Amino acid sequence: MNNLYFLPEMPGVSIAVWIVASMIFLFFARESVHKMIQAFSEATAGGLRKLAAWMKQTAEAMREKDRKVLLESGVAKIQGEILQEFSKIDMANTKALSGYPKLQLKLDDNLSQIERDYSECGQVSPEAPGWSEVIEAIGKAQGSASDRIIENMLSEMHKSAVDGEKKALSEFRETTAKRHKILSSMAPIWKRVEKIGKEINSQVEKVMENSRNIETYMTRYEKISAAEPESIDMLSSKVTKLFIISLIVISVGLVGAFINFNLIALPMSELVPAGVRVAGMAVSEVSALVIVALELVLGIFMFEAIGVTHTFPQISNMTRGKRKIILFGCLLGLLFLSTVEASLAVLRENLAEAKTALDISLAGSSTASAENVNSQITLIGQALLGFVLPWILAVIAIPLEMFIEASQHAFARFYTILISLLCHLANAIAYLVDGLFNILMHVFDIYIIIPTQIANLFNGNGRSADVSQGGQA
Amino acid sequence: MMNKISKNLVLAVSVTAAVAACSDNKYYETSYCALVDVSGTYASEKATVVNTIKAGIVPEMIPGDSLFFVMIDSNSYSEDNLVTKMTLDYRPTKANSQKLAVAAKLEDFGRGKARSRMTDISGALMLCSDYLKSTQSGTQVMFVFSDMNEELPKGVVRKFAGDEFAGIDIVAMNIIKLKKDSSNPEVYRTRLHDWEERTLNSGARSWKTLVDATKIPEYINEVK
Repeated sequence: MNNLYFLPEMPGVSIAVWIVASMIFLFFARESVHKMIQAFSEATAGGLRKLAAWMKQTAEAMREKDRKVLLESGVAKIQGEILQEFSKIDMANTKALSGYPKLQLKLDDNLSQIERDYSECGQVSPEAPGWSEVIEAIGKAQGSASDRIIENMLSEMHKSAVDGEKKALSEFRETTAKRHKILSSMAPIWKRVEKIGKEINSQVEKVMENSRNIETYMTRYEKISAAEPESIDMLSSKVTKLFIISLIVISVGLVGAFINFNLIALPMSELVPAGVRVAGMAVSEVSALVIVALELVLGIFMFEAIGVTHTFPQISNMTRGKRKIILFGCLLGLLFLSTVEASLAVLRENLAEAKTALDISLAGSSTASAENVNSQITLIGQALLGFVLPWILAVIAIPLEMFIEASQHAFARFYTILISLLCHLANAIAYLVDGLFNILMHVFDIYIIIPTQIANLFNGNGRSADVSQGGQA
Repeated sequence: MMNKISKNLVLAVSVTAAVAACSDNKYYETSYCALVDVSGTYASEKATVVNTIKAGIVPEMIPGDSLFFVMIDSNSYSEDNLVTKMTLDYRPTKANSQKLAVAAKLEDFGRGKARSRMTDISGALMLCSDYLKSTQSGTQVMFVFSDMNEELPKGVVRKFAGDEFAGIDIVAMNIIKLKKDSSNPEVYRTRLHDWEERTLNSGARSWKTLVDATKIPEYINEVK
């Protein structure tokens, strides 16, 4: 430091000389210094702003892409639902219409029966024509006739007329009774017709209900197709919810897989003993992991074959027969693996018991005490766990598909938020850097204020404005 | 042509990655060497030491681990001093049988009348080091059961190489205090300190004195 002093015995003077010299130097170099500070400012803050702009653009592009994907998937989903509804209607109609000819035949039979009965009721027996008047007239004539023969004749006629009337009345009553009987037998037929009418009404009601469902779906479809912001928000919310739920279920499933792995890892070392490791894992552990993974794969194929999931179009597009073969194959595979796991769980328990007995024996106690550790409940429990866990693991296939579907949107959203945050951060830093360089420029101007003012005195006030403007820039 | 080259390249990379991913189990295995002093007053501790090894070290061994049991006598750097050795099979059931067999051998040694006049601890340590290195295990541990008072016979020279105990964790256990130690603990402490210095200077990964035998499992987990 002392080397820099012109007059080592007078450091104050030396420093003052340095300051004055630097002021003069910087005054003459002021334009270059301003340009340099501006260049630094542009290089840093400008670069940050460009980076922020790029990030904003990327976030926008990602948002747009995600919006399109959401819309597409939403439309596809609604289309699928409408298709499913149509298929339901088709099935319902086929079912209803297949029974319709029979129903129609029954209705026709019943109606013709009613018609027959009705026409039968209409066939009225001829009434005895004017019998009562004739009898009355003969009765009156009988008393006034003087001739005995005529009287006898009239009496006979009266008698036969009375008999005839009686007979006619009897026939009339009989016919009326028959008609009543026919009419009373028509009642169940009416009831049957009424029932058939109700059946037809119910079928029509079902078809109407399905049509109403289609109408609801169509309204939703139109809304989504129109790409309204509310629809996008609704779809986004649905997908996010799906992502969270599937993530929770998969996490629980993974814990199950971990338990499953631990259950079979030790006994696998008995079956696959090897001194080689793969990526730091013993071969026996890798084998156990492969078994767990196989269970998951079988589960995926099983649910694919049932039609619950649609991850592999090749399987979804297969014929029913082929899918059945895959389904039975998977079921058999899972049954086999769960049986293997149950037996491994039993082996594990045996190994654990043997180890406990050995440890006790090595510690100096008798092996008899080790036998107390043996427990059938633990054995059965582990075997059951070994049998059940593969089936539970297989079910993960359903949330896994949901997770894969929803993760694209979730990750896109996360990425967009992250990029947007970084964009804001870059903008803020750029603002700060800009401010710092401005302050630096002002400090510089303050430092050379004396030579600047002297120069202004010589050049007039007009130049001072120029210098000031240069400083601002 | 390019397609064929790129296919071959991908195949070569895949095979290399697969081979690199497969590693030897040795790195994950542990080798133990137990040194038992049979000289002077410590000879009476044999049964206690055997029990400590049986209950403390053997149960901690897992398939693939090795155990060497070396006796410290007047001239310990000799194959005759290796009482027994064992490398556990990768099958747990077989490993259990091996453990029982080695326990029986240790018990026989405990009941035996092996005894020596002088104490060649350094020779035994060197012998153990040779055996442990031959296993190439990832973790190598020596358990020294002795009073740590070396008395070499005339003409016996013991000098550790710079990397004599490279990568080996050494633990001194069940150290019986001699009369002179009781009179002046400083003697005992200095003796142990000298051993620590000697072993660490010869590349030992660590040196420890264990008083409580029940802490052996904890120590093994620590060094693994």
